[in-house]
Amino acid sequence: MSGLGDGLIDLAAVAVLAVAVAGLWRRDVRALVGLLRLQGWALALVAAVAAVRGRDVGLGVTAALVLVVKAGVVPVLLGRVARRDPGAREGAPLINVPASLVIAAALVALAVVVGAPLHALDPTASTALAPLGLATVLTGYLLLVTRRRALSQVVGLLVIDNGIALTTFLLTSGVPLIVELGGTLDVLLVVVVIRALLGTMRARFGGIDLDGLSELRD
Amino acid sequence: MSGSLLSAVQVLLVAVGGLLLTGVMAKVRARAEGRVGAPVTQPLREVAKWLTRESPRAGGASVLAAVPYVLLVTTGLAAAVVPLAGVVTAGSSGADVLIAVFLLLTGSLALALGGLATGTAFGGMGASRAMTLSALTEPALLVGLAALAVPQRSMDLATILRRAVAHPAGMASPSHVLAIASLLVVVIAETGRLPVDNPSTHLELTMIHEAMVLEYGGRDWALLSLGQAMRLGLLFSLLATLAVPWGVATSGAALPVLAGVVLLGAKSVVLATGVALIEVRSAKLRLFRVPELLAAAFVLAILAVVVGVVAR
Amino acid sequence: MAVLVLLAPVVAALLLVVVRPGALAAAISVAAALVVLAGGVALGVTTHGGRVVHALGGLVRVDALSAVMVIVIGTVATLATAAMGHALGPTPDAPSRRLARQYGALVQVFVAAMLGAVLAANLGVVWVMVEATTIATTFLVGHARTRPAIEASWKYVVLCSVGIALAFLGLVLLYFASAHAGAGPSAATLDWASLRSLAVHLDPRVTRLGVALVILGFGTKVGLAPLQSWLPDAHSQAPAPVSALMSGVLLTVALYAIVRVKAIADVALGVGFVRALLLTLGLLSLGVAAVMMIAQRDLKRLLAYSSIEHMGLLALAVAAGSPLAVSAALLHVVGHGLAKSALFLGAGEVHHAESSTRIADIGALLRRRPALGGVLGAGLAALAGFPPFSLFASELAMFRAEVDAGLAWAVALALLALVVVVTALVRAARQLLLGPGEPAADQAPARALAPMVAALAASAVLGVVAWPLASLLHAAAGVVG
Repeated sequence: MSGLGDGLIDLAAVAVLAVAVAGLWRRDVRALVGLLRLQGWALALVAAVAAVRGRDVGLGVTAALVLVVKAGVVPVLLGRVARRDPGAREGAPLINVPASLVIAAALVALAVVVGAPLHALDPTASTALAPLGLATVLTGYLLLVTRRRALSQVVGLLVIDNGIALTTFLLTSGVPLIVELGGTLDVLLVVVVIRALLGTMRARFGGIDLDGLSELRD
Repeated sequence: MSGSLLSAVQVLLVAVGGLLLTGVMAKVRARAEGRVGAPVTQPLREVAKWLTRESPRAGGASVLAAVPYVLLVTTGLAAAVVPLAGVVTAGSSGADVLIAVFLLLTGSLALALGGLATGTAFGGMGASRAMTLSALTEPALLVGLAALAVPQRSMDLATILRRAVAHPAGMASPSHVLAIASLLVVVIAETGRLPVDNPSTHLELTMIHEAMVLEYGGRDWALLSLGQAMRLGLLFSLLATLAVPWGVATSGAALPVLAGVVLLGAKSVVLATGVALIEVRSAKLRLFRVPELLAAAFVLAILAVVVGVVAR
Repeated sequence: MAVLVLLAPVVAALLLVVVRPGALAAAISVAAALVVLAGGVALGVTTHGGRVVHALGGLVRVDALSAVMVIVIGTVATLATAAMGHALGPTPDAPSRRLARQYGALVQVFVAAMLGAVLAANLGVVWVMVEATTIATTFLVGHARTRPAIEASWKYVVLCSVGIALAFLGLVLLYFASAHAGAGPSAATLDWASLRSLAVHLDPRVTRLGVALVILGFGTKVGLAPLQSWLPDAHSQAPAPVSALMSGVLLTVALYAIVRVKAIADVALGVGFVRALLLTLGLLSLGVAAVMMIAQRDLKRLLAYSSIEHMGLLALAVAAGSPLAVSAALLHVVGHGLAKSALFLGAGEVHHAESSTRIADIGALLRRRPALGGVLGAGLAALAGFPPFSLFASELAMFRAEVDAGLAWAVALALLALVVVVTALVRAARQLLLGPGEPAADQAPARALAPMVAALAASAVLGVVAWPLASLLHAAAGVVG
């Protein structure tokens, strides 16, 4: 079981990061939402395996929560927004795709260096994977700063959040349940708020291209 | 069976096999598209036919004459030292990952020089495009091979394969899967297949590889085609061997080596069929999207290394 | 008492959803703020001797520092809600009634979230609450539903959520470090007091990474450079009372989280690490604010950049970290809350009367609207740190404490930035207030000016005698010193 569990966690953790990197490559906004759903599944799998292995009920609840919110509600909400403007594609990102992929590679390496003390403090198989979580966070930031479409930026934000969640599961088998609940609720509310905001934007500006947002400057 | 004999067998295998694989891929594509297609041996016959002809050469003749030989020699050398059918080749103690990459790169460089030598617009364009892509494929290739090397703690291909055969579970590890995926993209790019380059087009705006070799004719063309086929054969069989190392002869005995040869052929045909099916299903990427694909391969390779390091 | 303080705005928010906008709704929101203020004072009285109050099964923990923050929140909330009367007044049609309801309720949710942040015992809950303030205020920033307002709220929610995500990652690392602090994995905690007692055993490398992330993350919400770009947009586009709450207290609530983490980090890592980080962020913020203020043409944006400047000053004081520095910083938090909310409310009145906040469009306020102009002038003087206002006393005390801590060079740089800032404020005041003109017909009503006058008067009184707060501030500084 432990061998299988290790293998599953390995695979799911890598999947979370690989999906984040794939997000840098895809231009279609709806594909990004699909990737986000995939990431939610992988994340829930990590939490579930860790819960079963540690016989941790709190973490089990968290895994269910992750599945419902990150693989269910959030992609559905964003998917509805994406469907409103079909064929919405990222035009030219601020940094071209090859360059951003190469930067992503550098960020992954950076995450390994930064994450080294974590494994040193608690040398187990799962803390060794923690750099994957950090790398997902960094990739999310890259996605967020290089994209011009509102929805792609939201996806970047959620990728960051998923990366943090992955780090949490790998390092400490989750934070206290109250914090986890609060954090998940916050994520959900942020998505709801952003969705409403995008609705207002579309009503006011006739689109959600962020290049239109340039009125406020000094 | 001695190391040098195995090496000779491998070179021969790669040369004939490469031509046959090209034929197999053409056949698979034809069948998938509902055509009968040329027989599998067609590339062999073509090379044989052109070998007997005279070579017309334009300006820059000396370079043009040298390119096919450079390509043949470097690729042949690589095929001799790299372990494909068995690990005990003539150069098995020096079958370093870096040497294999270096030999392949020398071949690419020769092709690009040949493209530039005649001073025609197409040749220069093809060479420039090929070098641009090469700048992205080579690092991906190196890092992808390194990802396979890291878990085995060796840069020596023979050692990597020997240890991989001993621990087949490693084939399911995320690192291995990512590395092979990245290498597959590299191989597709290096052999000029779809979706990176279209081997069957002479439409000047999209071609990369074909643009460089427009100026060759007769015997030169035959040698060049053979060199390219060897390159394809080498890359395909190397990828197949690395992906599924089962069946590689770990000793020099005749029977395992024979089995290794047969299995290598089977694996390569499976891989070639797969790539041909990918070709059928995909359209050529617009040229500016190609670097994105290759950069993705590079990131996959980096990920593979990282995962290989952290998931111990 | 602490629970009552938390409940007041929650109950008010629920009531405001059902009550029809009008005088009753306005009264409810002011009443809730007053309950918070009274509760804060009561908590201050309880805790100023060093007592710690626990409630809600250990989730709530109140010491003198939390009490000071509750008082500041209560004060600014009272001022802001008192000025909201006209927004919550009777409305002509259903859509604007819905908007008014949303406005009133969200302000209360916002206040509740800030209270939750300063009362929580658990740093994770502090984070959840700070993020909740972002969510609650997004709609408030975009309340005007104009293009710039929507743009500002978009930038606000994305940048703040992204920035503060860093803080969560940092907290996870601290939690991880606490699980390996020698007391076994079951001792893993994000509880502030337990973390502090464990601090000597925390692994320094992991803790350093975690603390740096937490400070950068909460620093985004504080408005510290380089992650300050959302602040001028959000603060200038939000309705005046919301700007007052955001500038006056929200920034310092985030700073409160940094102070708490610093108390842990100082034990685990020595004082040098966080000090260097905060000095860098603080001086950078001062520089950015000074440059942007001297070139500023909009009153509300000027005020927003002034908030960045004051947060920079506070960061320097927290970096010094001595009891004098911390109590001076807390006095500065109080004084800044009072002065900045008065000025934002004043800017709201200016916008109401002149339909613009561009400094060049206004002019001659002292002649045309003497009462409003006088209040604005006094507010700008307070902000520039002129006596008798308390910002003068607190800035002086902070600088002294920093020199004592061996940071004279930082003080010199800060003073340089302050010269630029004061020049910018004086120039803005001259353009706004002086010039020829006739008294306008529609003078601001006394009811609208009263909160501002009260705030500035309180600031002036505090500047002369810090008496009612002195022992509490001292106790609060002792909590983290």
